[in-house]
Amino acid sequence: MASECCGGAKKTVLLYACSGGANVAEASDLAARQLMFSGCGTMFCLAGLGAGIQGMIQTAKDADVNLVIDGCPMDCAKKVFEKAGITNYRYIRVTDLGVEKTKGVRATAEQVDKIVAKAKEVLAAV
Amino acid sequence: MPLIQILGAGCPKCKKLAENAEAAAKALGVDCHIEKVTDIHKIMAFGVMLTPALVVDGQVKAVGKVPDVEAIKEMLR
Repeated sequence: MASECCGGAKKTVLLYACSGGANVAEASDLAARQLMFSGCGTMFCLAGLGAGIQGMIQTAKDADVNLVIDGCPMDCAKKVFEKAGITNYRYIRVTDLGVEKTKGVRATAEQVDKIVAKAKEVLAAV
Repeated sequence: MPLIQILGAGCPKCKKLAENAEAAAKALGVDCHIEKVTDIHKIMAFGVMLTPALVVDGQVKAVGKVPDVEAIKEMLR
């Protein structure tokens, strides 16, 4: 559950990370967690949206902002949103930030920092 | 008879949502049962992340906000 039960004054920001197996997915997940633990929003379940869980889809639709962090140009997370009919989202693609998608390589702190910085920039504009 | 569930810990917003739901049902002449769900595990089982939330016959209609009476009337139609 979001930390602000029963709706505080803050905007409701839900965060979604790429769920793949490459470094860009790890980086997006770490960035989303860093954003959550620094108070920028709450991570939510991309798989739940993909599975069509009605309450989760409604939660996303009623949030003030959904920030989607996709790993690569496959844009799976964005496509999940489109398929679910959720339009109130902002979008970041990790490979657009100069991070090369590679298998078998760990994400670096520098890559995570880049994503976090971009996410904060996007959220500040909302 | 529709089942209207109000999900939330019981804060003033939850109470306002219950009042609005009751008023909407009354305005439509709908005989309904309103149930308050305060158990966090039961709330999360709906896939709901934010409260208060409104559920009508098992369908989550609103999350993290208090729709007004007119909006709830639309949800009940």
